Amino acid sequence: MRKRRLIALACVLAVLCAAVALSLADAVSGGPILSKEQLNQAGMKIGVSTGSASMLIAEKELPNAEIVYYNDTASAYEAVAQGKLDAYVYDRRQMELAISSGRSGVRLLDENMDEGVPIAVGISPVTEIPDFTERLNAFIRELKNDGTLDGMFQRWAVDQNEQMPDIPSTADPQIHLTVATSGVVPPFSYYKGADLNGYDIELAYRFAAWLGADVTFKVYDYTGIVPAAVSGDVDCIMANLNITDERRESLSFSDVLYTEHVGIMVADTAAAASGSFWDNLRESFTKTFIREGRWQLFLQGVLNTLIITVLSVLCGTLLGFGVFMLCRNGNPVSNAVTRFVTWLVQGMPMVVLLMILYYIVFGNVSISGILVAVIGFTLTFASSVYSLLKLGVGTVDRGQYEAAYALGYPNRRTFFRVILPQALPHILPAWKGEIVNLIKATAIVGYIAVQDLTKMGDIVRSRTFEAFFPLIAITVIYFVLEELIGLLISRISISFNPKRRSPESILKGVKTDD
Amino acid sequence: MIKIEHLRKEYPNATPLKDVNAVIGNGDVITVIGSSGTGKSTLLRCLNLLETPTSGRIWLDETEITDPKCDISMIRRKMGMVFQSFNLFGHQTVIENIMLPQMDLLGKTKQEAYDEGMRLLRVVGLSEKALNYPDEISGGQKQRVAIARTLAMSPDVILLDEPTSALDSTMVGEVQAVIRQLAGSGKTMMITTHEMAFARAISNRVFYMNEGIIYEEGTPEQIFDHPQRENTRRFIRRLKVLELLIEKKDHDFPGMSGEIDRYCAKNQIPAKLSSRIHLALEEAIRQQILPGLESPRIRAVVEYAEAEETAAVTVSWNGPERDITRTGDELSLSLLKGIVSEMQYTRTGTDDLPNILSFEIR
Repeated sequence: MRKRRLIALACVLAVLCAAVALSLADAVSGGPILSKEQLNQAGMKIGVSTGSASMLIAEKELPNAEIVYYNDTASAYEAVAQGKLDAYVYDRRQMELAISSGRSGVRLLDENMDEGVPIAVGISPVTEIPDFTERLNAFIRELKNDGTLDGMFQRWAVDQNEQMPDIPSTADPQIHLTVATSGVVPPFSYYKGADLNGYDIELAYRFAAWLGADVTFKVYDYTGIVPAAVSGDVDCIMANLNITDERRESLSFSDVLYTEHVGIMVADTAAAASGSFWDNLRESFTKTFIREGRWQLFLQGVLNTLIITVLSVLCGTLLGFGVFMLCRNGNPVSNAVTRFVTWLVQGMPMVVLLMILYYIVFGNVSISGILVAVIGFTLTFASSVYSLLKLGVGTVDRGQYEAAYALGYPNRRTFFRVILPQALPHILPAWKGEIVNLIKATAIVGYIAVQDLTKMGDIVRSRTFEAFFPLIAITVIYFVLEELIGLLISRISISFNPKRRSPESILKGVKTDD
Repeated sequence: MIKIEHLRKEYPNATPLKDVNAVIGNGDVITVIGSSGTGKSTLLRCLNLLETPTSGRIWLDETEITDPKCDISMIRRKMGMVFQSFNLFGHQTVIENIMLPQMDLLGKTKQEAYDEGMRLLRVVGLSEKALNYPDEISGGQKQRVAIARTLAMSPDVILLDEPTSALDSTMVGEVQAVIRQLAGSGKTMMITTHEMAFARAISNRVFYMNEGIIYEEGTPEQIFDHPQRENTRRFIRRLKVLELLIEKKDHDFPGMSGEIDRYCAKNQIPAKLSSRIHLALEEAIRQQILPGLESPRIRAVVEYAEAEETAAVTVSWNGPERDITRTGDELSLSLLKGIVSEMQYTRTGTDDLPNILSFEIR
């Protein structure tokens, strides 16, 4: 017995060692990269941005290299600087901006990957605004003809003037324009303080004014932004969006706004660390929280995370409890339905469940991402609560039911007066664990356009070009939230534990001096 | 007041009750006896529908409780039940266990419930434990609280399902005393038990259950002293007579010791005599007879005479003639002689266990 256990332990250790060795070997090869040709070799690791034109170009032009897919650019920059990637190919302007804003340890090759990528507005095939494409193109032609479009590009992209011009909003809008944007691509779509800013945002305001519409922005990851337009969640995408053949299959595009290039970022081995640790930390802190009032973003993120968590816990607990009550007496229909839904919900990755709810189930309904997140997490939390109740109530001895029945308690009162009070002390600690899990699980709601704490961290990272500090900051915030909620639940647990009562409270209101 | 007609209870793999018919009058104290698995508990549990009968009808006064339209919770309030495993509510103190059902089900105020609860706790002698939790008191105390809780509902009938079987032998007495007091108060009671002397002392009627029916019923004297039917006689004899068989060198002696204990408990044999029976059998069988046998077959029969408080023991075994009263191990023999009297060895030629040792223990 002991021998077998030792062998198992040895196997686990061996696998771990192998994994560590492999991840070490993962580090990239060879000396500095000087040209595009060098990238097209076996063993080269090239980062691309998922779904972008840079991804398609890299896949086509670098067939020998290994392509690694990134959803957020700040992580990719860090990977290059640390040598986890040989190169990252992406929008050249973005990368220049990052380097000029202080992203160190990386540099750009002079060469580009391509001759230029056209950028346009992506149009939802199911938008409810009539003649949308024609009107948008007419608007773009007008801006081109009077030089406004070039002026916008000059101001935002070349001069890097962050001032949003004054665009009058429509007084009595007859049309409602909903625009998907990314919020993480300066100078086109990004957060300045707590507000969206940039070329695409100005374009949206101008188009809305031109249409006689008001405008609502929804912020998506690039992985979710095209599905959002396809499902009709938004009317169009203004997010420095490349025209690619694949995207053309599901979306139509407006006339080209401007052309961007795909650049190549490699590690800059010459770069030396500067400043002391504390100076760097202070600088990171200032950049992440203070500058442009970015703490407001975090505050909003915390608020959204809390709203989703608290509502999901409340609704999930109620739902789970209700379902348990329906299934308690062994009704075959409700049990079968519950088993099926629990199986479905618990077996599915949470992010997939959320995406299905948001883009398919509620695809044609105008519904806020927060509500969808609450619905999704309510379902999973309810199934956890259901399982917990089943487990906890199962620990109560059969004799307790019989004693209550024999005294004349009806079924339902037996449950509430005798069984549940004894099950709760078993259930509450696990319930608390589920809540902490839930807080962490909500970190994926960025996929459905909810700006929770994690998403806000991504947004700030896209501005500060720092990989670590915002991540650590949000981790700390998560810990604080979990701790606070944990304290609250512990309080509740104590008050639910009947054995923690004092003798005085047990006989409150009774004269005992006899 | 209770009438049972053709009561039948089937499980997928057993039928503990085949056809039970009985009439229970006001103030009857009925003991239900029978071997394990003869449906004694099932019968009690069918009476307050903790088990749903497969067929048959039960009336409580004028109400047919097996009628699906009958409000069973109301019936159960009139029919208290005391369980083998006590089943006190673990999350409540002793006094709350008694107060809560009164407040929840009888609509009494907290003060009324408390006063009645304390009165009953005094009756069962546990008023000092009012604020203890069930897991802080002994088994006997738990069962007394459970009886008080049942009484607090002032039921017309009390069903006691082996109330002392889960108890340490040191605690049986305290619970029996409470039940005895209860039986004297004129309440209608039905009790299943293995303690025959207790049954004889408290009940006016005894049901012997066998083969899924009430096989024989009568007064304690009729059933215990003059049983009419064959199976009853065998059961009563087995109660009074302990038979032990040893057919291996490595016999389960601890298990045998347990059997002796149970026999002594059933017949309320005094502790001193009980320990002597243990010792005598140990010395005679393990020290004297067993070592001389290659493939042992030993049969020991113990019969307790209540009137004289003596136990007669007969041990017979196979193999060649061996008078252990003369040839046995010295030390062990003197021990044996110290506690038994009238020890006698005989050899019969015809029996397959030809060696017979008999003695009496006082």
